[in-house]
Amino acid sequence: MHISDGIISVPVCLAANAASIIIIYQVGKKTEPEDIPKMGMMGAALFVASLVHFPLAGASIHLGLFGLAGIILGKRAFPVIFTALLLQSLIFQHGGLLTVGVNSINMGAGAFVAMFLWRWRTLPEYVRALLAGFAGIIVPVMLMAIEFQLSGYGRGIVYLLSIYLLAALVESGITLSIVKFFRSVKADILPR
Amino acid sequence: MKHDFLDKYSNLDSPIHRLDPRVKILSVFLAIVIIVSEPLGELFHFVFYFVIIALLVGLSRVPLKYLLVRCLIISPFIVMAAAFLPLSVKLSPELQPDYSGYSVYHASLTILFKAYSAVILLVLLTSTEKFQRLLLGIRKLKMPRLVGVISALMYRYIFLLTDEVLKTTRARESRTPGKLKKSKIKVYGNQMAMVFIRSWERAHRVYDAMLSRGFHGEFPDTRTLRLSGSDVFVAIIFVGILLVIRLGI
Repeated sequence: MHISDGIISVPVCLAANAASIIIIYQVGKKTEPEDIPKMGMMGAALFVASLVHFPLAGASIHLGLFGLAGIILGKRAFPVIFTALLLQSLIFQHGGLLTVGVNSINMGAGAFVAMFLWRWRTLPEYVRALLAGFAGIIVPVMLMAIEFQLSGYGRGIVYLLSIYLLAALVESGITLSIVKFFRSVKADILPR
Repeated sequence: MKHDFLDKYSNLDSPIHRLDPRVKILSVFLAIVIIVSEPLGELFHFVFYFVIIALLVGLSRVPLKYLLVRCLIISPFIVMAAAFLPLSVKLSPELQPDYSGYSVYHASLTILFKAYSAVILLVLLTSTEKFQRLLLGIRKLKMPRLVGVISALMYRYIFLLTDEVLKTTRARESRTPGKLKKSKIKVYGNQMAMVFIRSWERAHRVYDAMLSRGFHGEFPDTRTLRLSGSDVFVAIIFVGILLVIRLGI
């Protein structure tokens, strides 16, 4: 789901990087010092989640946990996602250096939507967790499809990206499972 | 456990290793901007780009095998994106792409070359510098304070969490030999939740220790980087050559 360098046009990438920096400054103003260790830990969890491969239909997918980041950190998930993607591009070359902003906005939007779904109190908790996990993957994929279309890929890319629907379903199940585990073992991780 | 995915060849000595990390980060960023801005279909310029990149690889003394393995690992993502362009364009008859007279296959190859150029430059950047100095370079380049602090903490937690994931994966696999029949999602979810809770508690203990040492939202950093004129000169020449190629002067 990480867009590599060379696919999206340079002006779009630079604009996304600038927008990401502005968002991080804004979030930074509202971040308390006691939030920082949680953010660092969540960033490492996002980074390491990519090492966990889930077997699916003869292949394997790796976890994203952007929905979980949205549930736990809310708006503060964005700088965490940006930093995790920056380090992933430097260490593993997943995604690119120029596309860090685009990828952060895609995946940050997933976490953002997940945050709103989680706060939708009229729904039962398990439904909110399922929806948040699903949104954490499907929102970035939808944004990615739009960006690829704008980069000259046409409608065809939508067929390719539809495979992520399965990944989003798996991720929503795993997010639900994690939330249920937290609720029974350490409920204070989940925001009230 | 030992993790060698980070700065494996940063202890080598070469002219590229000796450059200031800020110069390297900025040069690589600008090089990627220049190369990625090549119009789709324009393949000729890549001959020159690859010659320059090959020279850098030779100068850096980073083993070619390591570089090729890194490229190979990332290949599925790049090849898929490049190979899907002709198919995707075919599936969209309303699309009238203009590749300056070149075919869609030329355009597809350009994407491939751009992506591999960027990957090789990134591997060179991380292989020729200690990762902590690279993070220091990022901080000194006036990245937002939050990115600096989170990356410093992440750098510490990544290894702990990787160990936890490897340990719990081994425990899960030893308890469920062969394929998991039922509730696969629940088992993986519980594994991640357990790793998360252990790390969460550790993060709180670390935070308490940080507070007792006077942490107030920022790590005091007394390390300095020295920027020399020759570093800047080398960067200007490198970026300048790429710019000359890009503009076809």
